[in-house]
Amino acid sequence: MNNRLRVLRAERRWSQQDLADRLDVSRQSVNAIETGKYDPSLPLAFRIADIFQMTIEEIFLREEEVKAAE
Amino acid sequence: MMTQAAIAKPKPGLWAGLFLANMAIIAALFITGAIEPPAPYLLFALNFALLLPLGKALLRRQVEAGAVTTAVRRYNRRFLTASLLYSAAMLGAGAATNYIAPHSPLMWALAILPILPAFGMIWAMMRYLAEETDEYQRHRAINAAMVGLALVLALGTGWGFLETFGLVPHVWAWWVFPAWAVGLGVSMAWSELRSGGAA
Repeated sequence: MNNRLRVLRAERRWSQQDLADRLDVSRQSVNAIETGKYDPSLPLAFRIADIFQMTIEEIFLREEEVKAAE
Repeated sequence: MMTQAAIAKPKPGLWAGLFLANMAIIAALFITGAIEPPAPYLLFALNFALLLPLGKALLRRQVEAGAVTTAVRRYNRRFLTASLLYSAAMLGAGAATNYIAPHSPLMWALAILPILPAFGMIWAMMRYLAEETDEYQRHRAINAAMVGLALVLALGTGWGFLETFGLVPHVWAWWVFPAWAVGLGVSMAWSELRSGGAA
């Protein structure tokens, strides 16, 4: 699933490890979610949204949204 | 500096390859009758010493890939302890087998000795899945376990039929564990390769 994690992280000058520490997951997990190789569960998606003080929809993008943007 | 880093790079694949090659050589020698019990058990058990550098290299590789969680560290410690106890039990039981009367209670005890730490390894894996709070790591572990299961089912069913028709020699059932572990290891290495080393 496409997402804006990398951009959001860059805006805050966080490394993958910084975000991983905040989420209490491994750096490899952050990388897998960020690159779309792994879709997080709903609870983890909510935790990610809470950390960025955004809604899930503002971070994770539906396929149609990505296609429309292209 | 670069050269030092290159030399220090952990090589779990090398240790795993060496471990498996030794297992295959010992099995081949045993099947062809070149060595007779208890020599194969003792050699199998001694080969388990390679799990120490393998475990160490694996942990360092996991640290580099940013894949280490508290549950992983706990699992590594438990699994390594169980496998070393397994090796010691095999070594002890293998050495004593020639001095004990067949079908005696002591022979039963000797046979059960390596089973207990082997169950310990299975327990360590079950605990890992229960204790891992990182859902992606748990997902990877479950996927790898399924690949191991697929390998065991394919080899077991395939070999079983070949054996039924008298085409291949008999293989002891305890080989399911190493076969499963090979599938697990290959799947973990494959997913590591695909992730291309987390940035």
